Amino acid sequence: MTSEKLLSVENLRVLFNTRNGQTVAVENLSFSLEAGKVLGIVGESGSGKSVACYALMGLIPSPPGKIETGRALFHGKDLLQMSEAELRHTRGHKIAMIFQDPMTSLNPYMRIADQLIEVLLQHKKITKRAAREKSITALMEVGIQDAAKRIDEYPHQFSGGMRQRVMIAMALLAEPEILIADEPTTALDVTVQAQILALIKGLQKNHNLAVIFITHDLGVAAQMADDVLVMEKGRLVEQGTTETIFKNPTQDYTKKLLNAVLTSAKPVNSFAKRDEAPLLEVKNLQVGYASHSGSFFSRVKKFTRGVDNVNIRLYRGEILGLVGESGSGKSTLGRSIIRLIDAQSGELIFNGKNLLDLSPANLTDMRRDIQMIFQDPYASLNPRMTVFDTLAEPLLVHGLATQATVLDQVNELMDDVGLDRRFIRKYPHEFSGGQRQRIAIARAISLKPKLIVADEPVSALDVTIRAQILALLLELTQKHNLTMLFISHDMSVVRYLCDRVVVMQKGRLVEEGETEKLFSAPEQEYTRQLLAAIPTL
Amino acid sequence: MTANIPKVDLPLLEKGSSLSQDAIARLRRNKVGMASFYFLLLLILIAAVTPWIAPYTYDAQNLALGAAPPSADHWLGTDTLGRDQLTRIMYGSRVSLMVGFIATAVALTIGVLWGAIAGFLGGRVDAVMMRIVDALYALPFTIFIILLTVIFGSSMLLLFLAIGAVEWLTMARIVRGQVLTIKRQEFVEAAISMGLSPWRIISRHLIPNVLGPVIVYTTLTIPSVILLESFLSFLGLGIQPPASSWGSLISGGVETMEEYPWLLIFPGLVLTMTLFSLNFLGDGLRDALDPRASKD
Repeated sequence: MTSEKLLSVENLRVLFNTRNGQTVAVENLSFSLEAGKVLGIVGESGSGKSVACYALMGLIPSPPGKIETGRALFHGKDLLQMSEAELRHTRGHKIAMIFQDPMTSLNPYMRIADQLIEVLLQHKKITKRAAREKSITALMEVGIQDAAKRIDEYPHQFSGGMRQRVMIAMALLAEPEILIADEPTTALDVTVQAQILALIKGLQKNHNLAVIFITHDLGVAAQMADDVLVMEKGRLVEQGTTETIFKNPTQDYTKKLLNAVLTSAKPVNSFAKRDEAPLLEVKNLQVGYASHSGSFFSRVKKFTRGVDNVNIRLYRGEILGLVGESGSGKSTLGRSIIRLIDAQSGELIFNGKNLLDLSPANLTDMRRDIQMIFQDPYASLNPRMTVFDTLAEPLLVHGLATQATVLDQVNELMDDVGLDRRFIRKYPHEFSGGQRQRIAIARAISLKPKLIVADEPVSALDVTIRAQILALLLELTQKHNLTMLFISHDMSVVRYLCDRVVVMQKGRLVEEGETEKLFSAPEQEYTRQLLAAIPTL
Repeated sequence: MTANIPKVDLPLLEKGSSLSQDAIARLRRNKVGMASFYFLLLLILIAAVTPWIAPYTYDAQNLALGAAPPSADHWLGTDTLGRDQLTRIMYGSRVSLMVGFIATAVALTIGVLWGAIAGFLGGRVDAVMMRIVDALYALPFTIFIILLTVIFGSSMLLLFLAIGAVEWLTMARIVRGQVLTIKRQEFVEAAISMGLSPWRIISRHLIPNVLGPVIVYTTLTIPSVILLESFLSFLGLGIQPPASSWGSLISGGVETMEEYPWLLIFPGLVLTMTLFSLNFLGDGLRDALDPRASKD
């Protein structure tokens, strides 16, 4: 293979004009891409990794964005100087892109066939019939079974992984030379992620594609890329072959990123009290979603099982991991424990009382003892309430504070979660994702609950922030003697944090065991699949 | 447990502790918004003291003069009966502003509460509450008004009630729709799991987050209510000649606009300026109440 430079980017600088002045999104970035190679661009959110690639495709909204300097030579032509018409021809035809969220990147009102054929008709002189044939072949190539039939279906009839396959087929239809993949597997389950990564790798070899693979996940980068480029705050930190970057990083930031990857296991927990009665016992729990049909007066309820006959024991002082892929019912189970969703049958024995039998008044009292930390720190805080109001509200409502003491108590909570006390008059949007999650954690522990249900609390966060938040959770559970149900799809996080693990699949409990035992000797096939799908360095 | 937390000196807190205080501070920085606010305040003040400062009385006729263009005696001219137009606009503003603000306030209160409660509680409560809204929507407005007049006779109070009864329906639907999307967000679920009462969740967590569309719709409602009043007065509900309102002045002015254009231009101008101010103030309020809008 020749090491011909297909694309070379020099001194790229991208600005955004905001109300508060200019923000430099990409500063003086240079890199090159060789034909048939995979270049991984790694960085945390805000590092400019996506902006850089969007700039190459002419997809930066301008204004407010502005490409100030730089060249991007592709076949001797500068992409940044091209006219809109030339660019349109290059986009899709020569350089194709796949996006992060397969749920929103397909038009829900168009059949798959029409969306694929549209691409072909745009870029090739081809009849409709031939375009359809070609589209079916492309779908078969990305592993969609029964492609000739499924091509006439709508996007909602495909699962997330399948949609991403369709997106890849669409990207490859016009036979591009470069494929830009922007976090293509971030929104997918681990086992699906493993399949999609293998698919991209295979296609890249077969078509001799050059791929720019943007990701925040070092494990994925290590698995996919030949060369890696590490970015931080718009600047290039380090670049080199994948092996050198991961084995001998020279820059501090790269080392920090690598250290944030959780490889260690949790030290044995001495707080868990297994010999006592469990704090929470879930017995034969059935949770379903009711969907209504029929008229106002004769409603027909249809149930879809979300959680099917699940039994779990949670002992005081332990952190129980609940893992599974999306649709496994793990979140439904978590939400039914804090009574956000009603269970159909079964028992939830908490501290000796069945939560499902409580009267509304008793339930309000019980809510103090069970709190939840949500996945999305951007959605879980009321945007119109200051941090002080958010944290003071539960304290005042439950009578744990008076107007005189509430400020001190809120300040203590801020100390607990490692936030500066001066921030309490600020609104949520003034904080970063990690800081917001700290506020959400402070709110959850404000009522001094006995049990915390944490639903994917770190999956929306960057790797280095993730490590900090996990350390905080660990510290707080020990300090306040908390019991936690930790829901996650990320096996490495679970291994770092949890004492025991429960694996769920399609609403049922598949396997249960001590963390280390389960990781080293999984008994069930599904658990083995989950573990095998973790990308490792 | 509190003992091992190191005592840190309380830092000076930034001023402004609640959303409303922050909002006022932000609104003050919005020049157009504040100018509109002062203009509206001036209008209300003039309306309040009109009986004492008006140059004439609203029904003083000067048949000899007839319809005259603006002059030193009559700054905005006179109508066909020789009544001073400035006086009539000033008296008219008393009716129009009162109808505009009070009827809208009635619609706002009922509509926001109704929509928020229906949206938050959901299920059967929602279905029943929204069917009531649908039923009222289906009622032909004109017939409804005529019925009211027949039963209760004509009065200002009835005017407010009639307009409020119609305008809150749309507000309730808008708010319900917004609440339905917001209540799925995690901060509302967090509030539920915190054990907060439904009323507190509605008033503290839901309503502040639907204010944006509510304010926009309110600023659109006030002018439409002011015009609606002239229609109702025409039907015999509300004010009767020789009393005046902006709506009745404008509809009167339309009839004679070819011969005496000033009878349309001046009341129209006042109404337009009021509407502009309302819109600017509404925009300012919407931004001020959203902490995400730029802080400085």
